[in-house]
Amino acid sequence: MVFLLRRLAFYVAALFVAITLNFFIPRLMPGDPSARIIASFQGRLNEAQVEAIRKSYGLTGSLWEQYVTYLGSVARLDFGISTVQFPEPTASLLFYGATWTLVLVGIAIFFAFIIGSMMGIHAAWNRGRFFDSVFTPINVMLNAFTPAVVALLLFYAFSLQLKWFPLGRAHDPSLMPGFDLQFIGSVLYHATLPVLSIFLVSFGGWHLGMRNVMINLLNEDFVILARAKGLSDRRVRYRYVARNAILPQITSLALSVGFLLGGALVTEQVFNYPGLGKFTFTAIQSRDFSFIQGQLLLLTMSVLVANLLSDIANVILDPRLRKG
Amino acid sequence: MSDIIQAKPFSLTEALDREAMASMAPSQAELMEELRVKPKPGWTSRLPPSLAAFVTNPKGMAGVVILLALVLFSVFGPMMSDYNPNRRAGKPHVAPGYEHVLGTTRMGKDVFTQLAYGGRISLTVGFGAGIAAALIGLAIGISAGYFGGRVDDVLTFFVNVILVLPGLPLIIVIATLVEQASPLVIGVVLALTGWGWPARTIRTQTLTLRTREFVLSAELMGERKWRIVLKEIFPNMLSFFVGGLVLGTIAAILAEAALEFIGLGDPNAVTWGTMLFWAQSNMALQSGAWWEIWPPAFAIMVTGAALVLVNFAVDEITNPQLKAGRKISLIRKFLKRRGRSADVF
Repeated sequence: MVFLLRRLAFYVAALFVAITLNFFIPRLMPGDPSARIIASFQGRLNEAQVEAIRKSYGLTGSLWEQYVTYLGSVARLDFGISTVQFPEPTASLLFYGATWTLVLVGIAIFFAFIIGSMMGIHAAWNRGRFFDSVFTPINVMLNAFTPAVVALLLFYAFSLQLKWFPLGRAHDPSLMPGFDLQFIGSVLYHATLPVLSIFLVSFGGWHLGMRNVMINLLNEDFVILARAKGLSDRRVRYRYVARNAILPQITSLALSVGFLLGGALVTEQVFNYPGLGKFTFTAIQSRDFSFIQGQLLLLTMSVLVANLLSDIANVILDPRLRKG
Repeated sequence: MSDIIQAKPFSLTEALDREAMASMAPSQAELMEELRVKPKPGWTSRLPPSLAAFVTNPKGMAGVVILLALVLFSVFGPMMSDYNPNRRAGKPHVAPGYEHVLGTTRMGKDVFTQLAYGGRISLTVGFGAGIAAALIGLAIGISAGYFGGRVDDVLTFFVNVILVLPGLPLIIVIATLVEQASPLVIGVVLALTGWGWPARTIRTQTLTLRTREFVLSAELMGERKWRIVLKEIFPNMLSFFVGGLVLGTIAAILAEAALEFIGLGDPNAVTWGTMLFWAQSNMALQSGAWWEIWPPAFAIMVTGAALVLVNFAVDEITNPQLKAGRKISLIRKFLKRRGRSADVF
């Protein structure tokens, strides 16, 4: 419990740092976000109008007042008004995009973690043999291919050349969203390639991580004792070694959520998928700062939540932490 | 000689022993041959041990050779081409051929020339950001691990914060604000956000080194702290530093490509990332101009793969059990051939 409370305190502090960074970065840069909007009117604005625009960006008053106002609006999940889709509040766009991104990244992480870890267990158990010496390097190299490149390759091969998969969108536009088989099937069909490309660039990391931790554990006394007791290979492999090796993996899984969400931005751009990345891309092109800052905060929060979940999982899986 | 041996009194036990020895224990040369252990080449013995381990590692050397080839290509490639990477060199979308080795883009620029010039910038940004991030991580990791106490608490807090902040989205915020980030800006931002992992591993390693005898003896001799850090701790940290550098470079090259690909870079700079950006926004794939998109994509993939190979070698040096793992199937086969239980694991 003490452990979890300490972690929780850290996450609150980290969130605070992220919010503060988000507040200060635009103010440290030359030219604030409103300057661009004001400049685009080429001096046709009067004093009051300029002031109103600056106020809508929270740029009036002393720095401290601005900061307090900013904290208040973040607490209410009010990220301002989007300039691209004008009267729409940024928050609702963010959450709409985030839902689709979560579908992609969630499915991809699930499969990448399980398949990668299983491969890592297999490679460590049979280290030096064919599977380990061929697939370990290949899987890890896949990890170092940019999401952009892998996504482009898949898009080219399966969407453009073979035409097996659609050229964009999250579901068939003629279907009404709902919980029926047809709609879910369409969503899965449209998500296949983006999920596959996120999967391909991430499972190698789990493979290597699991393998390396497993190899170090295989020489520990408790493993030798377990074997000396005559336990079956299967039992030693999964209940003794893998169970211990999975703990650091869960921690790095939570830390990688941020990296994967970042990679998803690029993947969505290639597959024209209406997730957070697609909106971020349009926001970048139109310099919609409220959205871009909102996505950073939203993604930071999701990484922090993922970390908290991983801490809870660690406490459940590792009795040593429960005592501490 | 032979009569001296004959002259020795015959001893049955000795003869049996000798025979048993011959069947049980082969000579060292035989063992080395059977286990495929090659004697170390003479020249590596003069190198420091970790460097010697690196140059005899096939994966690591393969990676280094590929990286060297890429560097040579981007240094000398531009000299082999008569075109300017920023100017129109021919008709739009000319297929690869004699005039244009890798064809031209939709703007009629020569792809080969762009690839070579782009390599200069992309590799410089990648390695620059990787080295800088590893250096920051080294400084922070060693300070936190060595000085401990309050310093450690504060530094570890910042390491953890930078680890949980999602990198790419943070860079997107900064890059959007500076408008068309030049490769230099991208490199600086990547260095400032990428030091979390090296700092963490180096801190852990410093913690284990701090209580070793050689550090204690230096402390007892009254060495100054910065000297202990530089002379005693840093040399033992070299392979972790290189590991952080390689991983940081991979991350930086991937992130640079991603940022430029989504249009945050300076579109007039010629890098592998902006080449991909232009190819994508000119619908190169849809119009069948595969040669506009695959050369930069392939270059990024090869760079990443080569760095991964180097990282494998560094991993085997920092964690020798991984290297033993490579030999274990040979040992298993060897034991089986000698009729011993092959229960090695």
